[in-house]
Amino acid sequence: MSLLLYSFFALIGLLLLLFAWSVRSPKRPARRSSSVGAVGECEHKHVTYLPQIRQTFSKADYEFLSKNAPPGVLRRVHRERRRVALAYLEALRDDFQSLLQMARVIAVLSPELEAVHEFERLRLTAKFTCQYQMIRWKLLGGAAPVPQLSGLSDFVSGLSVRMEAAMKELGERAAVAAALASSMNRRGLDAG
Amino acid sequence: MDEIVTFERALLWLTVFLNGGLLVSLLYRKNHRVVPFFFAYAFLNLLQGFVLFGSYWIWGFASPLSNRIAWATQGLVIIFRALAVAEICRRVLGKYRGIWALAWRMLVATAAVVLLYSWAVAKGSWQFAVLNSDRGLELAIASVIVIFFLFTYHYEVTMETAVRTLTIGFFLYSCFFVLNDTVLEGWSHKYSTLWNLLGALAFVASLMLWNWALWRRLPENAFEPEMLSNGIYRTLAPEINNRLKALNEQLEHFCRAQRNRS
Repeated sequence: MSLLLYSFFALIGLLLLLFAWSVRSPKRPARRSSSVGAVGECEHKHVTYLPQIRQTFSKADYEFLSKNAPPGVLRRVHRERRRVALAYLEALRDDFQSLLQMARVIAVLSPELEAVHEFERLRLTAKFTCQYQMIRWKLLGGAAPVPQLSGLSDFVSGLSVRMEAAMKELGERAAVAAALASSMNRRGLDAG
Repeated sequence: MDEIVTFERALLWLTVFLNGGLLVSLLYRKNHRVVPFFFAYAFLNLLQGFVLFGSYWIWGFASPLSNRIAWATQGLVIIFRALAVAEICRRVLGKYRGIWALAWRMLVATAAVVLLYSWAVAKGSWQFAVLNSDRGLELAIASVIVIFFLFTYHYEVTMETAVRTLTIGFFLYSCFFVLNDTVLEGWSHKYSTLWNLLGALAFVASLMLWNWALWRRLPENAFEPEMLSNGIYRTLAPEINNRLKALNEQLEHFCRAQRNRS
């Protein structure tokens, strides 16, 4: 049997894997039920805690502690920072999932889709998932140090500005969101 | 007829019985109106069984004429199998106009690419031409079903249990047939008796799934969701993508911050 014929077996194996993956029940975040409104709420929650997040990653704090605190305290701080970093990652993922859910509802209820936007979203999702899992496993395994504010402060500030803008935009789109939520409910009734 | 071993003959009768039961169930539950191509496929399958039985009876199991009749009827059956799969895809995704417009193009493109691949990879001899076509079409059907399931998963489109089971039956049968055809091409005659037997077993398994799936009546009128206006997608889709991009950038920044620290 030629080598190329073996590719049929490989292809069938791949199809079976993809099939098994796609028929399983979708694992979505618990916040899913309030998906459309959740984006704004979530960002609003993050804005409230931004000063604390910023403080957690403060480089000056860490340097001060490394000079003055005993090693036990320093280790504990390091652990706590890792925990905060993981929680922050989780929050980013929740934001991403909420946006994806919103995009999904809009796509399902739209009479026309543009393949470019759909494939772009697929690419972004794949990229985000890979990066998220990589960072998460590194942090969980202790293989990667928790980032310092020098790196994070800029983007946390940037995020704050973007979130304010997003909140404003979402306020303007409240009517659209309400219409979407209502359509989603109708869809849910159908699914039941 | 002597060449057909007892077990194979028993399987043949079992497929006839299950196929007949499926047709009766389709008619009794009036599901033939809901899935007409599937009904046509099931009917042709049964008819093929009788035609084959008749041809083997008259001309013998190994006669070239019986062989030609077997492959010709198989071609017709497989075309209707493809139509039945298309019908299921349309039933599930068709009510979402935007997704369906994207999905059917993707499904047709997938089928075309897989068919081309099958022909490119297959042996060039005429001896295997029919076998290659059969395998190519089965592989295309299996790939289309996977893409269809990926679509429903990605967009969280709900699927009736019966329709899902029908599709699973098609998928498993097509996958098995591709493997079976490939082994037959590789080992040729040494495998032919077993090839018939395994093919019949796979078909019996699919028939059982379909009988179970269509035991109840399928709702005739698919629900039509209320669509949004065109402008909403055009405005919001790029905006959401930009925000997803921004979140990706934040993760990248997180990565960079980690690298800088280490």
